[in-house]
Amino acid sequence: MPDLLEYAGLILPIGIILPLVFAALVAITPRGKNDLVRALALVGTMLPIAWYIPLASAFDWSNGSATHFAAKYQWFTPLGLTASFGADVITMLLLGLTVLLGPICVLASYSAITERVRTYYSWLLILQAAMTGVFVARDLMMFYVFFEFTLVPLYILINLFGSTNRKAAATKFFLYTFTGSIITLAGLIYIAWQHKIARGAWSFDFNQLRDLARGLSFEQQKWLFWAMLAGFAIKVPLFPVHTWLPLAHTEAPTAGSVILAGVLLKLGTYGIYRFVIDFLPAASTYFAPTLAVLSIIGILYAGLICWVQTDVKKLVAYSSVSHLGYCVLGLFALNSVGLTGSVLYMINHGLSTGALFLLIGFMYERYHTRSLKEVGGLAKVMPIWASFMVFFTMASVGLPGLNGFISEIMCLLGTFQASGLHWGMGDGRVLPGATWGELGPWYAFAAGLGVIVTAMYLLIMLGKIVWGPLKEPAGHDHGHGHGDHGHDDHGGHAKLSKDLNAREIGVLMPLAVLCLVLGLFPQPLLRALEGPTREMARNIDRFGRQQLPSDDPRLQTPSAPVTAQAAIAPGASITPPAPAATVGGEGR
Amino acid sequence: MTDLINQLPLVLGMAGDAAHASGGHAAGAHAGPVAGQLPSWVLAMPFLPLLACVLCGLCAVFKVRTKLPAVITVVSLAAAFVVALLAYQATMSGGAGAGQYAVVKAWDWINFQFGSQSTQSVVANFAFYIDALTCLWMLFVCGLGAVIALYASEYMSHDVGPGYTRFFVAFNLFVFSMACLVMGDNLLLLFLGWEGVGLCSYLLIGYFYTKPAAVAAGKKAFIVNRIGDVGLSMGIMATFVVFGTVEYTKLFELIAAGKTGAGQDLATHWSVWVIPALLTVGAFGKSAQLFFYVWLPDAMEGPTPVSALIHAATMVTAGVFLIARVYPLYTADPSLTVLTVVAWAGAITALWAATIEMAIFDIKRVMGYSTISQLGFMFAGLGLLTPVGAAFHTFTHAFFKATLFLGVGAVMHGFGGQLDLRRMSGVMWMKGFGLVGIAMLIGSINLSGVPFTAGYFSKDMILAAGFATPGTMIGGAQWVGWILLLTAGMTAYYTFRTYLRVYVGPKEFVPGDDPDLVDMGRHPKGTTLDEHHAHHGHGHGHGHGHDHGHSHGGVADRRLAHRQDFDPTTEEFDPHPPGLAMKAAIAIVMVLSVLAAGLYFYKGLPGGEHGGWVGGVVHASQVSGSQAVVDKAHGGTFFGQDPHKVMYYVSALIGFIGILIAAFLHGPKGWQGLFIGNRQKCDVAPRADRLANLFGPLTKLARNKYYVDEIYDALIVKQLWLTSHILHWFDKWLVDGLVNLFGLMPRGAGSIARKQQTGVLHEYALRMALGVALVLAIVIVVKVGGVR
Amino acid sequence: MIDVLLTLASGPTPGPMAQATLFHYLIVSALMFGIGLIGFLTRRNLIIMFLCTELMFQAAGLSLIAFSRFHLNHTGETFVIFVLTIAAAEAALALALVVLLFRRQETLDAGVWSQLRG
Repeated sequence: MPDLLEYAGLILPIGIILPLVFAALVAITPRGKNDLVRALALVGTMLPIAWYIPLASAFDWSNGSATHFAAKYQWFTPLGLTASFGADVITMLLLGLTVLLGPICVLASYSAITERVRTYYSWLLILQAAMTGVFVARDLMMFYVFFEFTLVPLYILINLFGSTNRKAAATKFFLYTFTGSIITLAGLIYIAWQHKIARGAWSFDFNQLRDLARGLSFEQQKWLFWAMLAGFAIKVPLFPVHTWLPLAHTEAPTAGSVILAGVLLKLGTYGIYRFVIDFLPAASTYFAPTLAVLSIIGILYAGLICWVQTDVKKLVAYSSVSHLGYCVLGLFALNSVGLTGSVLYMINHGLSTGALFLLIGFMYERYHTRSLKEVGGLAKVMPIWASFMVFFTMASVGLPGLNGFISEIMCLLGTFQASGLHWGMGDGRVLPGATWGELGPWYAFAAGLGVIVTAMYLLIMLGKIVWGPLKEPAGHDHGHGHGDHGHDDHGGHAKLSKDLNAREIGVLMPLAVLCLVLGLFPQPLLRALEGPTREMARNIDRFGRQQLPSDDPRLQTPSAPVTAQAAIAPGASITPPAPAATVGGEGR
Repeated sequence: MTDLINQLPLVLGMAGDAAHASGGHAAGAHAGPVAGQLPSWVLAMPFLPLLACVLCGLCAVFKVRTKLPAVITVVSLAAAFVVALLAYQATMSGGAGAGQYAVVKAWDWINFQFGSQSTQSVVANFAFYIDALTCLWMLFVCGLGAVIALYASEYMSHDVGPGYTRFFVAFNLFVFSMACLVMGDNLLLLFLGWEGVGLCSYLLIGYFYTKPAAVAAGKKAFIVNRIGDVGLSMGIMATFVVFGTVEYTKLFELIAAGKTGAGQDLATHWSVWVIPALLTVGAFGKSAQLFFYVWLPDAMEGPTPVSALIHAATMVTAGVFLIARVYPLYTADPSLTVLTVVAWAGAITALWAATIEMAIFDIKRVMGYSTISQLGFMFAGLGLLTPVGAAFHTFTHAFFKATLFLGVGAVMHGFGGQLDLRRMSGVMWMKGFGLVGIAMLIGSINLSGVPFTAGYFSKDMILAAGFATPGTMIGGAQWVGWILLLTAGMTAYYTFRTYLRVYVGPKEFVPGDDPDLVDMGRHPKGTTLDEHHAHHGHGHGHGHGHDHGHSHGGVADRRLAHRQDFDPTTEEFDPHPPGLAMKAAIAIVMVLSVLAAGLYFYKGLPGGEHGGWVGGVVHASQVSGSQAVVDKAHGGTFFGQDPHKVMYYVSALIGFIGILIAAFLHGPKGWQGLFIGNRQKCDVAPRADRLANLFGPLTKLARNKYYVDEIYDALIVKQLWLTSHILHWFDKWLVDGLVNLFGLMPRGAGSIARKQQTGVLHEYALRMALGVALVLAIVIVVKVGGVR
Repeated sequence: MIDVLLTLASGPTPGPMAQATLFHYLIVSALMFGIGLIGFLTRRNLIIMFLCTELMFQAAGLSLIAFSRFHLNHTGETFVIFVLTIAAAEAALALALVVLLFRRQETLDAGVWSQLRG
């Protein structure tokens, strides 16, 4: 659709505006018209899909690293803030996940949310707008605003619609992630400030800041690395800063959990991909082993913790911590295979774990418990549910043929091959499957042990909840659906059938189909990611590994001060001019 | 050596994709004529079962409550078998000898270029590598699959409906996965099949999912296999890094040239033993060798057809297949380190499992352990440099072990799930069980290695290799041979122990208590089973006119009476003989396992002088890349004689000794016990019991499987469980505690400050006013005072 | 400081006695503010309290205008116009709030509302 490109400047913002408009429509719907609200919300999430499909077909997938549909509007000129939009292949993939999960979340909430329906759906739509904004933003400050703004809707969703301990969970979720993001903001502003120093003007443009950040001294990069990582690592969440996630997941309403696992956690890995590794290749190379160790600890540690959980939702939440460990590990393999595996992992984890949360939500609606001690053997009464449960668990386990495998094996392979040390690189006889990198087979082996742990806890979960003798909570009566949940201001709230109904199956089917298709036919995605990740790996090599000081922690010889107009040659190091002179010349 | 690897890539893709060439890589070694075009119909082999799987899935969707899924399965698997035959025909018809293969691609699965050069690619397509070895495996996978599906159609008939459909969905998926494993043209597709069969195994072991034991067994099988799979995946990654490919075509080429992907000499490169070692870990896991064997006995919780197909004939031989597939890599190591380990591991496993079998009473578990033991033989064969022997034994074992399992299944089916060999006797003489008895006898003589049976010839090859292979190549090959010889004797003993106790002797039984199966034999007193079934419309599709009133023995109905809904005064139990489908299936596998012996004498293929037909087939496959090493594995002697010549007699003798001991200890009186037995009741074999008491603790140890499960549980599972709890505690109180502590600090400060908030408007206003007054006062004092 | 006050008291131009000086305006303003403040602090009726705040507002406005006139510019007046506008809006809002509060508790007593107690 080439003529679509004529309106390229408008097309990306539409994706943000559409859900917002419908959020407003939902909000002004008269009280009591819950069916209308649901219909509006559904339309408001289906339209972004209708928006995404032509977008994806117009997107040049063979040139995924370039920014497509770019648009730039002035926002606040003195600080160089712009409203700029753009999409590359990572953006497109994550956008696809976002718009897909939208209607799924709306549909999945039909019977679960029966009070304050308008509040619920409008915040859900606002959340979708914010997530879309994060991915299409090409201005750092805009990215940050959207990044932080995702917190608000989810905070409200958890706070108002969660389970018993929802207030504490929402507060913790908000404060924890917010604290981290503030440090990230400091890092981002520091880079922008360096840009101001080096080139005389503020800018928050992705590409300009990236070129600048790559040239910062190694010492600066080291500090920036941890500052930037702070927010993203908490969001992922990486091992020691993960404790908000199980709590938030457990207390969140089903749709909240789905979005949290499906998209919001990916904001962390997306941030690491785009702002940590790409901006600070030298520091990323330097700290890759540290991060890999943290990821591996996360994989095994969270996996083992899963084993002793009795709350099935908490189990799946901890499994997210474990799974995202692979994702980060793949990123810090710093080679094409690992990066691709990681990006695919973001998508695949969103599909399979999102589906698991949906399934648990459906079970909760029927039994009002998530405790593995109270329910069990549901295959007997809910065969369809059980089939889906087994399917998505297997996708999560990483069974070959389903989506999880491709990403997992690529993350592991990337880690395995990323070792110049082990594969005798440098002596001229480079093994054909080897790449540069700081990890290697032992890291892959340690992470590979996680595969066993994953199988262990997920199969134990299946063994308890799906298989075994039937166990239903005391006092549970199928005949009444869920009578104790009744709220009288809604007419459409029907009794739930014993097994999944058509709506619930319809919600799960797209995810199941995608899991299968991405498992058997991942080639289009691999092909699309091949170029961009290879380019990125090359950049890491060029601006990172080769810039790494062998023994001297500082950068090599400082080059001449760069003027504001001078384009910075990629890889050239920028030495900030003496601050006094710069400040003096600035005068305000 | 390269002339043995006449690579003839016949690359024919699906739907005009013929241009995708691995042909370009098969450089140099073209010698023979093209073996005939292998068009894309060979794809039917994997995809017919997949289609059947989908169709059965649709049966589930449309809630089919007939035997339609079974029909679909049998038809599609039989068709796949025909395709396998045609593929075999096409592959072998060229007569070009070793190394012929064809790659047929279905679609691009993974094709990812990670470096600037096009060689820096991860390529793993959904493509199938068809050579003689593949055909060998696919023949018995599809063939047995079809036959066992036929058997299962009746065996599972108590569950017609959702359960029946679920069974066949998993069954078909299994055959598809197995096809991917066997036929995949790269290690990653093999891995897909590898884990796929693991999944199906998990689903089918846990078929009776309301039984906690079945669920636990399925879980255990999957997890133990996963441990091996980590090794396998590491091996695949190492292969990729070292050779730059996981595709067999390119891999075999490099191995044949003796080079790594970087051009180093493979024989001295570390990878030459590291990669086989890693792959072997995977093979041990899947084939239940050494420490990994624990899952297989438990897997007997699954329905018997599953045990027959998956846990005896096909899936568990995947380890053997993997090693055979990349055998040239194993033999590339001049020191043959890994093969030595494989040989010893096989022998030790064989012996270990055999000792357990001699002590336990559960006839299905006996078969399970016997499978482990026989797999040990196959591994030993691989280790002793007789891949032909290993493949031949795999092939024959598939048939005779399937026969045995199907026979055991018929007994289980007929006696309400009874599996204790002390609770049944003379089954063969009961109405309708004659065929089962004959089949069991044929299976048993095969397993025991009675002369001129298929099992005899295949086991012989491995035993002979133990003595023929010089100890300089495989360290302690002689000892491996002796262990295997001892195990062969033990095998004969435990096989006939089961046979003589269950199938011959006085007719007695106690029905089991499997709720589904036992209902088939129950009927009110004074009626017959047939009347009962006709009355209840329990459709089994087979008539079995059998009159009521045959011997129940003194112990009948003892256990059944424990069932609460069973009233012994009004009801009784009759054995429920197998019907037409089961009998047909048993008859087919029985005949096939007899005929398999004839294959040994078929010398028509090149290389067939050693190992007959299977020898020829293996010779025609990629395994021939190891021929140079295999040919060197000769010269050892058995007391100065050529082991290949004398082993026929030695192993026959050992087998007969084992059978005679079994007859002496367990045989019934009279000719059925070869006139040396003295057993009179089903649960009392005086000599055996005395002997067991003589060994006392040792018997108990073996009977409890050496407490290996308990040891694993205590050493690994419990420890991990404890660690998990500690970590959970750590996470909750330390990691999260630290976070909460940070949250607590501002909260503590706030709790002091917020006391000031009284909530009364006037107080706030007053304070505000006072504040303003204070500021004013200060200003006045400072400013005005200052001026003064 | 005191000199300034004295200067202010004497007015910008020494003219006839009857002329109101800045000092007078400020005195009035201060008185208005004081009355407002005392009223706010002592009365409990929400509407009266609201009126008192308005009084304080206007006191501030008055002094701004006085200063504006005194400096012969219009800055203060501009501010006051703004303040008046806002105050009008705010008055509407505040009265609405008061009405709502009254509906809740059927009283105008400000002491009833102490939910913000820490």
